[in-house]
Amino acid sequence: MATTETFPVASSEGVAQAESPLKRFLSDYCDSKVAIGALFVIMAIAFVAIFAPLISPQNPYDLGEIDILDGRQPPGSIGLTGMKFVLGTDDQGRDMLSAIFYGLRISLAVGAMSGFLALCLGMSIGLVAAYFGGRVDTIIMRIVDLQLSFPAILVALVLVAVLGKGVDKIIIALVLVQWAYYARTVRGSALVEREKEYIEAAICLALSHRRVVFRHMLPNVMPPLIVVVTVQVAHAIALEATLSFLGIGLPVTEPSLGLLIATGFDYMLTGNYWISFFPGIALLITIFSINLVGDQLRDILNPRLQK
Amino acid sequence: MKRITLGLLGVVAAVLLAGTVGAADLRVGLKLEPSSIDPHYHNLGPNNSAARHIFDRLVHTNEKQQLGPGLAVSWKPLSDTVWEFKLRQGVKFHDGSPFTADDVLFTFERAPNVEASPSSFALYTKGKTLKKIDDFTIHITTERPYPLMPNDVSTLNIISKKHGEGAKTADYNSGKAAIGTGPYKFVEWVPGDRLVLEKNPDYWGEKAAFDHVVIKPINSDPTRVAALLAGDVDMIDQVPTADIGHLKTNPEVVLSQGVSNRVIYLHLDHDRDDSPFVTGTGGKNPLKDVRVRKAISKAINRPAIVEKVMEGIAIPAGQLLPEGFFGVSPNLKVEAYDPEGAKKLLAEAGWGGGFGLTLHGPNDRYINDDKIAQAIGQMLTRVGIEAKIETMPRSVYFSRASRGGPNKTPEFSFILVGWGAGTGEASSPLKSLLHTYDKARGFGASNRGRYSNPEVDKIIEDALATVDDAKREKLLQKATEIAINDLGIIPLHYQVNTWATRPGLAYTPRTDEATLLMNVVKK
Repeated sequence: MATTETFPVASSEGVAQAESPLKRFLSDYCDSKVAIGALFVIMAIAFVAIFAPLISPQNPYDLGEIDILDGRQPPGSIGLTGMKFVLGTDDQGRDMLSAIFYGLRISLAVGAMSGFLALCLGMSIGLVAAYFGGRVDTIIMRIVDLQLSFPAILVALVLVAVLGKGVDKIIIALVLVQWAYYARTVRGSALVEREKEYIEAAICLALSHRRVVFRHMLPNVMPPLIVVVTVQVAHAIALEATLSFLGIGLPVTEPSLGLLIATGFDYMLTGNYWISFFPGIALLITIFSINLVGDQLRDILNPRLQK
Repeated sequence: MKRITLGLLGVVAAVLLAGTVGAADLRVGLKLEPSSIDPHYHNLGPNNSAARHIFDRLVHTNEKQQLGPGLAVSWKPLSDTVWEFKLRQGVKFHDGSPFTADDVLFTFERAPNVEASPSSFALYTKGKTLKKIDDFTIHITTERPYPLMPNDVSTLNIISKKHGEGAKTADYNSGKAAIGTGPYKFVEWVPGDRLVLEKNPDYWGEKAAFDHVVIKPINSDPTRVAALLAGDVDMIDQVPTADIGHLKTNPEVVLSQGVSNRVIYLHLDHDRDDSPFVTGTGGKNPLKDVRVRKAISKAINRPAIVEKVMEGIAIPAGQLLPEGFFGVSPNLKVEAYDPEGAKKLLAEAGWGGGFGLTLHGPNDRYINDDKIAQAIGQMLTRVGIEAKIETMPRSVYFSRASRGGPNKTPEFSFILVGWGAGTGEASSPLKSLLHTYDKARGFGASNRGRYSNPEVDKIIEDALATVDDAKREKLLQKATEIAINDLGIIPLHYQVNTWATRPGLAYTPRTDEATLLMNVVKK
């Protein structure tokens, strides 16, 4: 792709407008129609999540707005107050559509927040390990190894059991579960960068450690990290849903997608499929889209896969 | 979707028709499993049920909790404070050794002294002195008249002195000491997987109906139902209410249903002036005002809970035990749903602006417990009480509800709980839930709201020392009436339990909710 432009043009004009890194990145991304579609789906989900209170027919978390007598109505039925339940209601009489909108809000918030915080934490620790090497590196990486040797869901279960219920507690638990993945990834690429001349030059200029690490090393280890972020955000959303499904994540009166699916599971054999089915589909589409975007990013950012 | 479901059911039915059950074998799937095979380690429903197969009691209870002879053939009070028990002769333990009065004395000595017992049987042995008259006669003496002697005795599983001496809980779990006189012999227990029993061919009473029984714990409700439908088990207990509708129409399943002695109720903080989970009241506790308690009771739509949450499989409750039990008052009615009346009472009490209240409940103990809690949250919100709901697994919930607060006081302000009358009459809930908390004397052990009414205390204590049945029943009724009209607790409904079996089998429902192989009938 880059071969269509000749070198002199690019170099003489400095950063050419036609071929700025961002533009090139975007045009590379748009190579895949599926990836574009996935991105739009994510944006749509994000829109729904952010504006859920405005577009939901009902506030599913307000106990005063839901009525047990509307419980387990099939999709399309009309409730006591004349409201239409497009996707039916759950066992407590909650409108499923509203519950899914609000559930997506929790899923995305938990995914994005825990992804971002784990990224910051894991990245810093990984960079420090790679930069200082020696004993610091050994200690940090053994801790990472130790954590990665436990299944993520197990660690998350223990943490949530100790911390208690609530969105904030879930985010803390997920950050503590996921930082190790970032640390491991960053350290790998940072070790390679550490040996390069520009770092040596920066050290020779007697720049502070912090400046070398964050201004010089960090930008060059970002590409693999971005890929890990997408994978881990999807993973965080799935973990949150799993914890809620197991009944230890969020309060029952504020069901997230996992809890809605768990509720529906009780009614699986009775034909009330909609309580599990629609939240399940919403969760599936969310995670699938994020993974598709992540895949495409990996293809673009991995030099070995460059055409 | 529906077609797929139907198709799946068709496949399941075909598989069921193809499989046949070995006539003398039985596989059972139960929601809860025992924490030990040691019959005196933990006074817990699943433990007691398991033990009742391997061991016998002096007095046995039938499916309606009526007392009948067990290892004792007869008993009578010799005076107000001395009871005589005549023991059954010719009974043999599973190893062939004979049963005598020494085993009974040994049982009463060991039962209250089991190491690290989470819930001891000491409350049944307390204040009782045993004396061996001859090999088959014992006298039990109490300090005060004690009419519930046979009921207490019916809870204690008689172990063998020969095998029980020095035996630890682990020896029972391994089977080394699990040698009783019961209708089934212990074969193997693998916690979390199975309890295996086999027929005791030399049993003194009605012989076991099955040669070989495997009892599997299957905690998840849908999984338990699926196991029955797939033919993995022949019988399950605690059929989830949601599935009863479609199981009823399934020719491959037989349902057995019966009301239990368990009332599901709300307990409120009667004690603290500043209750931890009451908010927006400026440090006052509105739950101490009887009008507020009445308002909460009126705000609850019991028929709606029974209809929508319990699928009609429960009975709205107005007191401690359903009709037909000893001590039930004929004068108490189920509180009618009256949200307007509730709002009025709240306004009268000075809480017209409402206040915040968190309801705590278990999510894996009673039928649909977390769903009931949420429904109550809705109903309270409608009358202006800003309700929050928090549910948790029973392993965490009960210890916090009983002693999670400072100085081991109850942690919560407003809780959803259930109480099964172990004795099958009203003194059990009165003594444990509504008598003033008094650890030393064993009163109010589960009075997590710390309700205290000297008048009620006096009547309960009088009742417990009245040997005359008619007089005692009057006293129990009176105590119930005062405590319920004072809303010491707010009753919601009585549980109705459902068992499901494969065709050819049926279960005789027990009011004590236990699943006993002795109550499985072959047709």
